[in-house]
Amino acid sequence: MTFKHLKFWIRTAFVFLFRSGRSTVTLSLMVVMAVAVLIFLSALAVGINDAMIRNSVGLYSGHISGFSLPQSLDTQRLKIHGVVSVLKRISIPGILSNGNNIETITIVGVDPAAELKTTAIWKKTVSGKFLKNADRTVFLSHQLADKLGVQPGNTVRFALGLNKNQIQFIVSGIYKTGIDYLDRGIAFCPFEVLPVKKDTWEAAIFIQEGFEPESIIAEYRTLISEPAGFHSWKEMMPDLLQLIDLNYISMGVVTVLVFGVVSLGIACAFVIFILKNLREYGIMKAMGATPQEIGRLIVIEVILMNLAASSIGVLIGVLLVFITNYSGIDLTYFTSHNRYFVVSGVVFPRLTFFSLCLPPILALFFSLVSAIWPAAIVTRRKAADILRSF
Amino acid sequence: MIRVQGISKEYRSGRGQIQALTDVSFTIEKNNTVAVFGKSGSGKTTLLYCLGGLERPERGKITCFGVEIHSLSEKALCLFQRRNIGFVFQHGNLLSYLTVYENIAFSLALNNFDGKTIAKRVHELLEKVGLAETGPALPHELSGGEVQRVSVARAIAHSPQMLLADEPTASLDTDTGRDLVQLMFNMGREHGCTMIIATHDQEIINLADAFLPLRDGKIEKEDG
Repeated sequence: MTFKHLKFWIRTAFVFLFRSGRSTVTLSLMVVMAVAVLIFLSALAVGINDAMIRNSVGLYSGHISGFSLPQSLDTQRLKIHGVVSVLKRISIPGILSNGNNIETITIVGVDPAAELKTTAIWKKTVSGKFLKNADRTVFLSHQLADKLGVQPGNTVRFALGLNKNQIQFIVSGIYKTGIDYLDRGIAFCPFEVLPVKKDTWEAAIFIQEGFEPESIIAEYRTLISEPAGFHSWKEMMPDLLQLIDLNYISMGVVTVLVFGVVSLGIACAFVIFILKNLREYGIMKAMGATPQEIGRLIVIEVILMNLAASSIGVLIGVLLVFITNYSGIDLTYFTSHNRYFVVSGVVFPRLTFFSLCLPPILALFFSLVSAIWPAAIVTRRKAADILRSF
Repeated sequence: MIRVQGISKEYRSGRGQIQALTDVSFTIEKNNTVAVFGKSGSGKTTLLYCLGGLERPERGKITCFGVEIHSLSEKALCLFQRRNIGFVFQHGNLLSYLTVYENIAFSLALNNFDGKTIAKRVHELLEKVGLAETGPALPHELSGGEVQRVSVARAIAHSPQMLLADEPTASLDTDTGRDLVQLMFNMGREHGCTMIIATHDQEIINLADAFLPLRDGKIEKEDG
């Protein structure tokens, strides 16, 4: 087949579709709607995943957790390309007491100003207020506060162990995250008032959207030698990773199922569309068009129609995503008790290459599959039989 | 030369087995015009379809210009059809989504003519059939006579060796039918076509070089 021949069949298919007006529009509408809806749903699924990650890492841990980092290492050295911020933390195990109430805890030294700017743990304050730099204050989890029987403004004592020197702190505030490991034995205090010095520190590293934590970690490994180490949120929260994978899989299944159902509709419409034009194909055959050429014409019609319908569907889908992305979709009512939405239940649908490309590709695939049957009817029927039936 | 040797064709229909053609044999010399006539159901259309490669006979041989078309593969038969045969149907059978211009250009494009030649040829043909202004019109905008004239132009556009016409005047009034017959004969002869016309029209029978009377799928009397 020459290019000239292909051009001729493409032109014929275009003319057929264009002059079939209403039938083409009806058929295209199904594809337009399916593509637009699925692009939006896929973007919403990505947005939900983003929100879960954002909530989970934004609360406290960051996308990457660094540990055993030497004091000689400056936070600025970890701010490589793709890293938004690096928060320094120093954890010290010890005992916190209030009179006879004693609890084993980890006290974490933080930079309150940096934490306020980057993390959301301060937003989980249930009473009192967050820390201030240089104040000898602690920010306690609600479970710890309950067990010690303290309120904001009360005094607690910290010691590195039993019969060790005790340091006095004032409770600045109490928080509740809903996340077990944060709500149990952790207390925060400013770096400056940490009772002991430590050779190493930990880091919460926040990265830009679109960057993979693994690639950042790989770069860190070339910069910093052991025993310093890094864990991505995927290693720290395998349950979240699984949930996200599950979300993508279910979205994929939904997409395929939706198109499976839509393709049935498309198949029926195609049968009507192609059989409506059966006489035309019969005349072409009588003029010497081969069954392969008729089949090719039908395939080109399907492809052209899909290209046009999918383009419109993609535009509508993208527009829907753009509009909802502007203000976000507030799902707080459905997520308020969910640990993956501890900070905010607002979801921002986001387009990815996958969510943008899969629906049109599936539309084309299913349309081609659904055109096989009517195309087979046309190509197999003899021109004489077709012409006699009109 | 067209040689038909003992062809038979039968159909299975709701009314049972129908013998459309039985042992039909004849020869038509090149450039001759033959009128096939007979009552409805006598097998005229089936014979034309067999000659044009739209039907394959169950038995017998058809040799058109040295090619045994009954034994060609489907694809080869299509290619033979598009190069060597032009069809004029009873109701024109123009492609309804294509304009008059595009209908005529279609058979030329199928035969790989280049764009310039197609444009020149279509305009010439439209002039000849007296429809120079109707190029952009769609078939439903034409009268029955105009449709048939476009059909003739389309059938003859690629200069086929054989022009087959199936009752081309049946749906036209007498005057329009007469004009069409004249046009078809003139154009067919001008292009050196061998014409086989299935008809009831006495005028066509009179104008033909020979005639082939069919009755119940058999030739009543051989001529030519």
